[in-house]
Amino acid sequence: MPRLSTQEEGVLIERAQAGDRFAFEELVRRNADRLYAVVLRFLGDSREAEDVTQEAFLRAWRGIGGFKGGSQFYTWLYRIGLNEAKRRAARRPPPGKLTSLDEHPHTEAPDWSEAPETRAAEGELRGVLERAVRALAPDYRAPLVLRDVEGLSTAEAADVMGLGEAAFKSRLHRARLAVRAAIDEYLEEER
Amino acid sequence: MIRRWLQKRRFMHEHRWTGARMDAYFDDELSSRERHRLEAHAGICPECKRMLATLRKTLEGLRGLSRDPSPPAGLADSVIERLRGQG
Repeated sequence: MPRLSTQEEGVLIERAQAGDRFAFEELVRRNADRLYAVVLRFLGDSREAEDVTQEAFLRAWRGIGGFKGGSQFYTWLYRIGLNEAKRRAARRPPPGKLTSLDEHPHTEAPDWSEAPETRAAEGELRGVLERAVRALAPDYRAPLVLRDVEGLSTAEAADVMGLGEAAFKSRLHRARLAVRAAIDEYLEEER
Repeated sequence: MIRRWLQKRRFMHEHRWTGARMDAYFDDELSSRERHRLEAHAGICPECKRMLATLRKTLEGLRGLSRDPSPPAGLADSVIERLRGQG
């Protein structure tokens, strides 16, 4: 679904704030998939991510009157979603017992155009990355997902996290180094 | 001997400078002059060269994760259904 212009989105937000649920439903249609992607990458469990996405929209609807418009609607939504995801993650068993993304096959068809050994290596590398991301503490995982996976700007991602840019960059730096170390170790084994 | 000591000191200074700017390098926050400076040091420092290469691979890999996963079909509709169920 194509993105709304800032003006179109602003109109929908104003209508939703005035109690127009159909306007809010349009905001749901425009943002549900991207919120789900962020939450899933954070939690690593598709069922839980779907549940958190639903819960985040329910909270957003209840709190839409408090949205000031000083930030993008989706960054406000991401904040609600990630806060809910962090609450779920805090209730989970310790790492190691987390559900693997590998247990949830991707529905999108993979690209089979490359040589099998290349695909296998890329698949392995991807697995190393996913495990390294999941092993990060939530406060470090979120900056990495927002900035490096979802491609938000530093300012947007810091806004979602409710952090100043310097504090955000510090967490992102540590998260990148931790994931890089896992990749370095994997590549070393391959040499 | 003094010359070698000065060279080593200069190298270590560049090493620390480079290490502190790896993130900024990949986030396109360096000037063209700073980029060249960082790349010049990485060209002669095996540790920084390796760090740069693996960080690049890491960030490319992370960006690739965004192409996946596909959201469940009808996700927005199920959210809307729950919203309507709440009255």
